[in-house]
Amino acid sequence: IAGIELPQKQWPELITSLLSNIHQLQPHVKQATLETLGYICEEVSPQVVDQDQVNKILTAVVQGMNASEGSADVRLAATRALYNALGFSQTNFSNDMERDYIMRVVCEATLSPDVKIRQAAFECLVAISSTYYDKLASYMQDIFNITSKAVREDEEPVGLQAIEFWSSICDEEIDILDEYGGDFTADSDVPCYYFIKQALPALVPMLLETLLKQEEDQDQDEGAWNLAMAGGTCLGLVARTVGDDIVPLVMPFIQENITKPEWRQREAATYAFGSILEGPSPDKLIPVVNVALNFMLTALMKDPNNHVKDTTAWTLGRIFEFLHGSTLETSVITNENCQQILTVLLQSMKDVPNVAEKACGALYFLAQGYEDSPGSPLSPYFQDIIQSLLNVTHRDDAGESRLRTAAYETLNEVVRTSTDETAPVVTQLLPVIMLELHQTLETQKLSSDDREKQNELQGLLCGCLQVIIQKLGASETTKYAFMQYADQIMELFLRVFACRNATVHEEAMLAIGAVAYAVGGNFLKYMQGFYPYLEMGLQNFQEYQVCAITVGVVGDLCRALEEKILPYCDGIMTQLLKNLSSSQLHRSVKPPIFSCLGDIALAIGENFEKYLIYSMPMLQSAAELSSHAVATDNEMLDYANQLRNGILEAYSGILQGFKNCPKAQLLVPYVPHILQFLDKLYNEKDMDDAVMKTAVGVLGDLADTLGTHASTLMNQSVASIEFLEECLSSDDPSIKESAEWAKMAISRAVSV
Amino acid sequence: MPQPEVRRSIKRSAVSDQQRRRELALLRQTQQRSDSQNRARRLASSVFTLSSSSSSDLILPDKGILTRAADSE
Repeated sequence: IAGIELPQKQWPELITSLLSNIHQLQPHVKQATLETLGYICEEVSPQVVDQDQVNKILTAVVQGMNASEGSADVRLAATRALYNALGFSQTNFSNDMERDYIMRVVCEATLSPDVKIRQAAFECLVAISSTYYDKLASYMQDIFNITSKAVREDEEPVGLQAIEFWSSICDEEIDILDEYGGDFTADSDVPCYYFIKQALPALVPMLLETLLKQEEDQDQDEGAWNLAMAGGTCLGLVARTVGDDIVPLVMPFIQENITKPEWRQREAATYAFGSILEGPSPDKLIPVVNVALNFMLTALMKDPNNHVKDTTAWTLGRIFEFLHGSTLETSVITNENCQQILTVLLQSMKDVPNVAEKACGALYFLAQGYEDSPGSPLSPYFQDIIQSLLNVTHRDDAGESRLRTAAYETLNEVVRTSTDETAPVVTQLLPVIMLELHQTLETQKLSSDDREKQNELQGLLCGCLQVIIQKLGASETTKYAFMQYADQIMELFLRVFACRNATVHEEAMLAIGAVAYAVGGNFLKYMQGFYPYLEMGLQNFQEYQVCAITVGVVGDLCRALEEKILPYCDGIMTQLLKNLSSSQLHRSVKPPIFSCLGDIALAIGENFEKYLIYSMPMLQSAAELSSHAVATDNEMLDYANQLRNGILEAYSGILQGFKNCPKAQLLVPYVPHILQFLDKLYNEKDMDDAVMKTAVGVLGDLADTLGTHASTLMNQSVASIEFLEECLSSDDPSIKESAEWAKMAISRAVSV
Repeated sequence: MPQPEVRRSIKRSAVSDQQRRRELALLRQTQQRSDSQNRARRLASSVFTLSSSSSSDLILPDKGILTRAADSE
């Protein structure tokens, strides 16, 4: 109730009356009061509560946390309330004395005899590490001592939070260093204090110790989370934060443990190795990996322990992910060792499900590294690779450890990265996957459990078909090979839509977009059968991803069918305009809908006339909204730019669609508004490169389609000309290219 | 303050292949939209049929120097 009433200033006495309970003697009243204050801080935004009241809440909470508080329940409620109140404490954390006091109480609570209080106190420290990173410098030594003791000696839930504190500091420093490219200047908002770099010599040994605390079957349990897993994850974050410096600190641990008879030691050593492969430079890692690779391949084949094999296969995948690929000067994979690696991975794909799943993952990154490289050393084994992956999908135990999913994902990546020389094998794969999808559609009367599994499989098969169709459709030679299957494949997809499952619909819809792209104008014969599902997809607000994908497919259809899409446009436009006006539809779908209006207009040309009176006002109001949007944060600014891009793409499509038609005159009344929008964008100075490119293109489209009608108005807009000039001297070649074209179109228009 | 997200194990992939398929389809669509627009822009324009008789003083930037395109005609 407070969450509703306080923002409307309808319950001003609430907090005061709650605070008056704090001095009551009965612990249960105090406890309930602190819980309520915690809930209020969780629910309402900090702006709603006056600083004076915040101070009183914090005083009550911190008093409740104090060691002198007799009741453990009260202390726990207070510690949890502080967690929620931290977002209210900006002013208090800026005051040295108040901050010192709060930090002292939190640190003392981490030593409480009650495990729940210790855990809640560490949760507060984690939240403080991300909210008040820049205020932590003077407490770090003490926090290190406290966390280190908790990780080594305390119960697991407490130790996990202690590790989480360091992971959270890594997150902060990775973000800061990413943002400033490592060059902190005095102008930056938050400086990097390099806490991780300073703590490194003590932090790394503490994390390495945790790696030895594995649970027996953690790899079979999807939801497992323990000290070893949290420690390895934190070690990976530390490697990303400090780069090369971590390598000499971890290598002795790896060397000491990797050949030990105890599996925990071998696994911990391998896990440590896998964890530090992202962050340090290839120069630092490649010599180490070159020495280790053979050992790892042998371990994957021969180690008697499944947990060790699982981690070894995962580590190999990380090696291929970060140290193999065309962007690297030297790769750890050579033509010589590639065959051996492949043999080991294909063999491991027959191992127990969790090991086989990681082997599939390693093959995924091995294939990815050969993207765009003709003469891939995988080509001679392509057929074997495909067959091995299909065999995995057919295993009786493929439902365990997400093995089947991993096999299809790898199959998709192998197809995506395949080269011309293996195109015949990809073409042969198409009817194989089609048959599998057909078989799932023939199965009748399933239990709800089996139906769920069936839907999952159908989603995977549709996904795989989409990848194959997109691959075959991308080149003229393979496109014709695909054509012979198009009728059958569309029939299958339409049958898939009869199954009520959002993921399957989304996958089938994406695949149909790929079919339209491949068959072009021939898609017309499928339209009648497909249209009801298209409309259904556009109406699916609940599963908005389906709606977004369907909007994209409308664009594919426009480009494939061109003016032949006209008979379906009334229905599609009605739905798209409804979607734009709806407050129920997820906002992320709206920018692509605007772009889609441009696709339709470009496809049907002057036939778009009847939609102008509906779509132009909508574009205008969205344009106003997007240029007035106060970009309070990066996310909001990103969205404003997506919206602007969609609106501009719509204008572009409409203008180009009417080019060379007498009806282009109908657009003249809209020109002032379009120019005003462009002026505003230019003056706001917060558009991204994509918007800049589209915007300058629209300037050219105005001149190209409307000639002097537009150029006279452009002449009155100083910003337009300055904007064009700025784009002409842009470093971004695509912006420059658009600007050159716009300049030419304007020159042509004014010279008439 | 929201509850902390449960951290994902480093051993589990951060991006699903389904997400990758969505992104790649979006990339293809963006590329094709841009190709279609460029094709349309390359088609000769016959704007003169629309233009009015009013002359234009539009100032265009050219090699960094502002020149009067209309004047140069």
